[in-house]
Order: sequence, then C-alpha cells, then structure tokens
Amino acid sequence: MSWNVWEAVIFDGLFAAVAAIGFAVISNPPRQAVLISALLAAMGHGLRFYLQEYVEISLIPSTFFAAFVIGLFSILFARLIHCPAEVFSFPSLLPMIPGMYAYKTILALIRFMNDEDSEVLQASIVEIFRNGLTTLFVLSVLVIGVTLPLFIFHKQSISMTRFRKRK
Amino acid sequence: MEQKVDIQELSDFLLEYATCMMGSGVHTARAVRSVSRIAEVMGYGVDLTIFQRNITMTVKSPEDYSIRRTYVRRIPDLGINFRTISELSGLSWDAYDHKLPLGEVESRFRAIMEEARMSRWKVLALVACANAAFCRLFGGDWVAMALVFAATLVGFFVRQEMSARKLNHLVIFVVSSFVASLVTSAGVSRGWGGTPEIALATSVLFLIPGVPLMNSIIDILGGHVLIGVSRAMNAGLLIICIAIGLSATLLLLGKDAL
Repeated sequence: MSWNVWEAVIFDGLFAAVAAIGFAVISNPPRQAVLISALLAAMGHGLRFYLQEYVEISLIPSTFFAAFVIGLFSILFARLIHCPAEVFSFPSLLPMIPGMYAYKTILALIRFMNDEDSEVLQASIVEIFRNGLTTLFVLSVLVIGVTLPLFIFHKQSISMTRFRKRK
Repeated sequence: MEQKVDIQELSDFLLEYATCMMGSGVHTARAVRSVSRIAEVMGYGVDLTIFQRNITMTVKSPEDYSIRRTYVRRIPDLGINFRTISELSGLSWDAYDHKLPLGEVESRFRAIMEEARMSRWKVLALVACANAAFCRLFGGDWVAMALVFAATLVGFFVRQEMSARKLNHLVIFVVSSFVASLVTSAGVSRGWGGTPEIALATSVLFLIPGVPLMNSIIDILGGHVLIGVSRAMNAGLLIICIAIGLSATLLLLGKDAL
C-alpha cells in the first residue's frame, strides 16, 4: 500500500474516532470504554473506507466486514476490561449508521409529494426505494455483523463482566 | 442448611433491579440472565415476561411451590446508560461468585444507581465535535463542518433543556431536529461552502437513535421478537420525528433548496 492510501485511511479513521466518542458520551459509558470504542470505530470505519475505495467492494458487504471486525475486537476488549461487549461495540458502530441515505429517502419523498411532472415523479420513486432499502440493509448488516461474533463465542460473551475488580 | 433469604425481600429487590436494567437500555437477554443469576444463587427460581413498559416476574422456591410471589412493575425511563448496565451486570456476577448476602448486593445496587452522569456541558461539546467529524466522513468541507458544529451545539442544547423539563420525547425530537437544521440553513441559504446538502443532512444526525435500533435487532435475533419489534417501532417513530423537523426547515427554505 502506498503512503497516500495509508494517509486517506488513517484520516478517515481519525474522524470516525471523534464521531464515535461524541455519540458514545450521550449514553454515559464507563470511562475506559470511551477510548476503546474510539479505537474500534477508527479501525472499523477505516477498514470500510479502504474496502470501498481501494478493493472496490460495494457498501453493504464492506459494512458487514467492518462490523464483524468491530464485533471480534469488542469481545477481546470485553474480556480484558470486563465490560459487556456492546458497551464499546455500539458506540463504535454509530459513525456507520446510514444517516445520509435516510435523509435522501426523505428528500425524495418530499419531492414526490410536491411535484406534478411525471418524469420527476418516476425518478423520485426510484430514489425513495434505492436510498430507503440501502438504509434498511446497511442497518441490519451492521447489527448482524457485530452480533455474529457474540453468537459464535456465546459462552464467553455472557460472562464478560465476571471477576470484575472490586473498587 | 443455612437460612434462605426472605422471598418478599428478594422479589422486591429483583423487580427493582430488572426494571432499572431495562430502563437503562439493556438488551432483553442480558436482563433475563442477570436476574436469573442472582435468584439462583439466593436459592430461588425466577421467570420473567418483559414488555416495553412493564415487567412481570414470578419468584418461587424450588423446594416448596406454595412459596411464591408474582409482581408487575412499570419500567422507569432512565435514559440509556452504559455504565449502569456494565456495573449492574458485574454486580450479578459478584453476587453469584462470592455468594454475597442480599443486604450487601442491595447496598451496592443503590450506590451504582446514584452515580452521577457525565456533566451535560462536556457531553454537549463532545457531541458537537462528533457531528462535525461525522459531516467530514460524508465528504463535507470545512465550512459545512463549522455549520454542523454550530447547529449541533444549539440543537443538542435545546434537546437537553426540553428533556430536563420532561416534555414528550416525540415533540423533543421534532423541535431539536427543526432547530438544528434551521441553524445550518441560515448558512446554507447565504451560499456558504461547497457542500450545502451534506451540511443540512448531517446537522440532524446526532438525534438518530442508534442504540435502540441495534438493541431491537439483537432482541429479534435472540428470540425476544415482541419487544424487539416494539423497540424498532419506537426508534422508527423517532426517525419520522427527525424527518418532520427537517422537512419543516426544507419547506421554509423553499423548493430550490431541495
């Protein structure tokens, strides 16, 4: 990989990390978990960016791989600091929530309701379905990707918070 | 054989523990497991029915089925709180592994529930930075990032103020989304920046209920289909509210802005 590619991926990861920290604190996570979810978000989002831009895998499979990697690492960290895995895996997925597609769906919906021209109407229908379905599938793939490792390592994942240090 | 805990005290505690856990936004399977774990180590069996608003719980003694208690309690709205979830879950393992007496478990439970949340101003600043970074991920330029930062600052502040006054949460979402997109549109309508549509779109994304959406899919996959669907429905309602607030701004801006 050339330096340019690294730079783009790392920048993408950095912004994803900032986004993850901010969206995480709304749900009041334990302090160590915030940093870990930032790290996981950077890894996941950077990976998705790399897969999409340089390997040319389409949005949904690359989101799935990114979520799967986040899921795997969240189990590892959960074992290390004895927190439930979703405490860091959820916040690190938040930067990948398909908000832009949801927005475009609504925009097309408004255009569809306001316009009279039949060509615009047809184009709007295509946009509503395309963006709406993308939103739905990206969202499902995110959750399936991140919970798959939890189901694979079922025994471990239910006992993450066992043997926590007493304060 | 040592003296067992009184069933009345245990079921009061377990009911409070379960409702607080669900109120903090845990997925259903974890709540069921944690409650069963505490009941098991105290020598009782427990069965739970969990709905969006209520928990029905039966605690029974395995030796004598005439000793049993059944209660229904409303789930309080505590707001999603990962620290509480993590510590309550840890508490159930502590109780299980160290065979803590009920009094000890209960006092630790009270201590966990009284821990303060992060200061609201710190959260406000971090959320604004996050949404600006998010805008960048979608390809917004620096102007768009600055607009989104300002919009999130105002929008999230409005949301915090309205939540503190305990308004209806659907109304809160409509108003915050309207305010946030309105602030962005003030810059966009003056033609600032090269990516106005990205700025407008991301300005409301801090409201997206990501955690409930993911909890709902986990619940459905884990077999708690009813509560999963009701969670998805609630999250969907919130997204519709965000859309209503945003479209109000877009209508004000006029057709050209679309």
